[in-house]
Order: sequence, then structure tokens, then C-alpha cells
Amino acid sequence: MTISIEPGRSSQTAKQAPNLRDCGPAGCDVDWLSSERVASDVDDVMAFTRFSLEQGWGDGLPLIPPTEARVRQFLSKNNRFADELICTLPPQDGECTVEKIAINAVMAGAEPETLPVIIAALEGMARDDFELFGQNTTTAPVYPVTIVNGAIRDKLSIPYQHGCLGGAATPAAAIGRAIRLIMRNIAGQVPGVTSQTTFGSPGRVAGVVFGEWEERSPWQPFAERRGVKGDAVSVYGSMGTMNVLDTVSQKGPEFLEMTGKSLAYPGANGLTPCMPFAEILVAINPVWADIIHRDVPHFEDVQEILWRNTAMDANHLTAKHREQLEPLGRVINSKVYVVTEPKDVMIVCCGGTGGLHATGFHSFGSCLTQTVPVIPGPIA
Amino acid sequence: MAIGNVLNPSVPLTQDVTSPGPDAGNLMGKTVGIRVDEIWRCWDRITEIWAEQFVAAGATVKLWRCSQGRTGAEGERIAASLNEFLDGIDIALVGLANCGSCTGWTIRDSITAASKGIPTTAVCTQNFVDLSRALARRGGRSGLRLHVLPYPLNECERAEVDAVARNHIDGIMETMGISSQTSLRRAV
Repeated sequence: MTISIEPGRSSQTAKQAPNLRDCGPAGCDVDWLSSERVASDVDDVMAFTRFSLEQGWGDGLPLIPPTEARVRQFLSKNNRFADELICTLPPQDGECTVEKIAINAVMAGAEPETLPVIIAALEGMARDDFELFGQNTTTAPVYPVTIVNGAIRDKLSIPYQHGCLGGAATPAAAIGRAIRLIMRNIAGQVPGVTSQTTFGSPGRVAGVVFGEWEERSPWQPFAERRGVKGDAVSVYGSMGTMNVLDTVSQKGPEFLEMTGKSLAYPGANGLTPCMPFAEILVAINPVWADIIHRDVPHFEDVQEILWRNTAMDANHLTAKHREQLEPLGRVINSKVYVVTEPKDVMIVCCGGTGGLHATGFHSFGSCLTQTVPVIPGPIA
Repeated sequence: MAIGNVLNPSVPLTQDVTSPGPDAGNLMGKTVGIRVDEIWRCWDRITEIWAEQFVAAGATVKLWRCSQGRTGAEGERIAASLNEFLDGIDIALVGLANCGSCTGWTIRDSITAASKGIPTTAVCTQNFVDLSRALARRGGRSGLRLHVLPYPLNECERAEVDAVARNHIDGIMETMGISSQTSLRRAV
């Protein structure tokens, strides 16, 4: 059986043989799958999970055995060639082909329809400016957060309301886990071997994948502000989530002041003594977003007020800390700011309608957020 | 239990260069390039003491300070600057691998230097030896010369750091493959 589908993107193989696709569970004359076959129990999930840990493939949670049939089934519902090279991922510089992505996605329990989002996220992470090399080796707890914009949020049940950063029950959780398995198996990020992460993070197990509540946001969609309209994925290197609780503010500038001040603390990534620049991401709930927009209608002013309130008295830092920041021009009128410019304060609207909380995500190193369009494939 | 085949989700390591690369040899008339950073003050002090020895042995020493901002326009500037630096030296000494990401960059920059055929030595602290070796292997150069300093180091007082630098002079010369003739000059 040969399935002829217009490829979403060209590849060398596609140009050579434009009508040949993966052949689904039944197989075909040409074997497009080049991965090593390894004998294993393929029915007993727990037995395979134990085996995967012995092989260094697993994360400790139950895994679906990636049999040829399951991987072919996954690929047959997408329009990508199995041998298409999407990117290489450091520190191992492993070649991340569609086949390897599919195998890890099957293991994670991801639906075939999620492949375009996983690919877009990996393309973003592989860009030099994302500094994945540092993220996958550092002592820090950093992990890539994936933010989804566009109609694909609902098609894939990407959470953007209550519990969107963790806890919402949705098959989209497997997207994050697939990406984490890819970091382990293709990028070669293994704690204690390549990764020196001192504590790690809960986000390193199944990632954090969430959408923006565009319908409730008073602002342009996050990805659109970054130049990509429609279905898009943005990846952000996050040190974790920090909660901001505010039960007293009533006006937009008050919420922004409270949130901005809460983001500033001496050990924040952006205040690392050798850091010339950094970013910060803030998730604003839709209740606050409405109030903020009412009182501060221009988005750039929202960024500026948040940024201004991240100012901290430089004398609050230790002397050694301050002495290293000063030569970098980071001390301005005896104050230090978590990021160097208001534009580096990034805002996304999501979360439940209970309000009361914002979430701050401090970045890693000089990692820069990447936004990538999601190229859809025909889904059977 | 049903035994069948699963597809291996991992990828093989890249090709490997197991050779340490050329020795630094006799230092007379050569330029030793030392890569320092913006994090580890102890590394500044150690390289200062080692540089005195290299100069005494007839070498010229060039320092290159790596910025932590290796992304965006700053990242492009740093990459170009590193390339220019490497083109102007005969021997590379790269450090300091004393945290996760800085070990990553130390090894990556070392591999860049070694790939140009420059006699290259990376320097790490004891707690980052395994990571350094793992990254060198994953970068395709498991033979990369690696000199190991004690850990903790940056937390030490200056006099303690100075002592470490002096105690490692013979060791670093051996790791770099500096010829015994040079060592004799240093001793004199």
C-alpha cells in the first residue's frame, strides 16, 4: 500500500520519492523504519517499563511499547517521511528524525495528531538562541515550557483554563512527556551523566504544555506578538513556576505593581552576577487581564509597569554580587532590574476564572524564547 | 508474556576521535590562548599564575573572556570573536568547567579549538570530570585533553587558590603536552 499525500515540508527524501509515505500497520515493500529492533515484552506494559529503565530509555512512569505496528500507525496518520531529519539536539547532537520522534511519542502515549506540535516545539528548541546545550547540561532545574496558540489548542485539548500549568486532565500531557523522552533518548540529557541539574524539577518529567486563552485575552495572541499568526508553538526555558497571590489589588496598575515586585529576588536568573541579559514570562489570569487592560490599555505600558516594579535596591544584593553586576551596566540609579528592558517581560493570558494568582517563570541563562509555526498535516 | 520487537528510541553516539590531538610541545615563540569566563574568579587567578610560567618559557599569552550571553546578537558576536581568537593562537587552554552549563560551553569551545588542529586542553574541577568526559564523548572527541582541579575551588580564599595553581603547574604542563625542554626552562 502506498499513500500519496502532499508533504507538509520538503526533505531530500521527499524530493527523491514524492509519493512514497509510511505504509501504516501492514507494512510495505520498502521499510522506512531504520531503528534497531530490540526484543522485548510488547503486551505487558509494566514488563516493558522495567525493560526500558534497564535500557536507559524510560523516565520511571509506565511506557507504551513502541512496536513497529504502533509506530507505523502513528506515522500513517501524518504526512511526514520517517527519515526526515527535523533537527539535532545537544549535548549528544543526536539526529532527531521523524521516526525517532514517533517512537518516543508512542512510548509517551501521545496521539498521532500531536506530531506537528511536537515537531514545532523541537524545531524551536534546536535553534542556537534557545541555548538547549546549556539547558541540558546545567546545574539549574530548567526545562522548556511549551506555549500553544491558535485553533490547534482545542483540536488537541491543550489546556489553557483551570489547571493549565499542571493538573488539567487532558491527552495533551503526553505531548510534554514525549518531548521529555526525546530530550533523554535523542538529546542525551541524563541526570548525573550529562545533566548536572542539582535538584531537577517536576517539569522535567512530563514538561509543561499549555495554551493561551486567546478568547479571554485582551491582547494579541502571544505568538502573534512574536510574529507568527495562527497555529504556533513558543518554547521558553523556564527555571520553574513561582506563584504570585494578590487578594487586595483592585486596579490594573496595582496588580502589575504587586506582580512585578514579586518577580524580583536576588537569586533570580536575570540577576545572576554574570548575566548580560535575560527574559521573564508572566502568566496573567483572565480576570486580572480584563482589569489591567481596562486601566492600562496599551500592551507596551503593561510591560513597562511590570518591568519598572521589578526594580530592587542594589544594596539589597550582597557586595560581591553587586560588584559583578555593575561592570555589565546592570545597576541603574542604584537599582537593579530582573531583565534589562521592558520588552523582555513577556506576558501570556491563561488560567482559571478564580483569578487571585499570577505565575512567574524565570528564564535560564541568556536563553531566548522561540516561536515556530505549526505546519499541519492531513490527519486521517 | 508476548515477546516481539520494539524500536529503539535512542540514537547512536556520533563518530569519535579518541586521540588527544597534538602536543603543545616547546612553548618558545608560541602563543598560548587562554579562555576565561565571567563567572569563576578562581579561574582568573589560576590562569594568571600559569600565564606567568608560560611567558617565562618563551610563550606569548592571549586571554579571551567568554560572555555568558551566547544567544542573539551577543551570541553571534561571541562566536565570531572566539573564531578570531582561535585563529591567532598556537595552543588553547579552555576553562573553567565548574558548573553544568559552563562545563558544556568549556567542552564545546575546546572541541571547536581541537577541531581546528590546535593543541587543546580543557580544565575542569573534580565534581565535573564525569560530565566533561561524557560531553567530550558526545561531541565526538573522547580523547580531549582534560586537566582536573580540586573542588570546591571558587569558594576558596585567594591564598588557597594560588596554592592550587602552583601545585598544578607540572600537571597542567604534562596534560598540555608541553615538552620537557620547556619545563626545564621554567625550572631555571
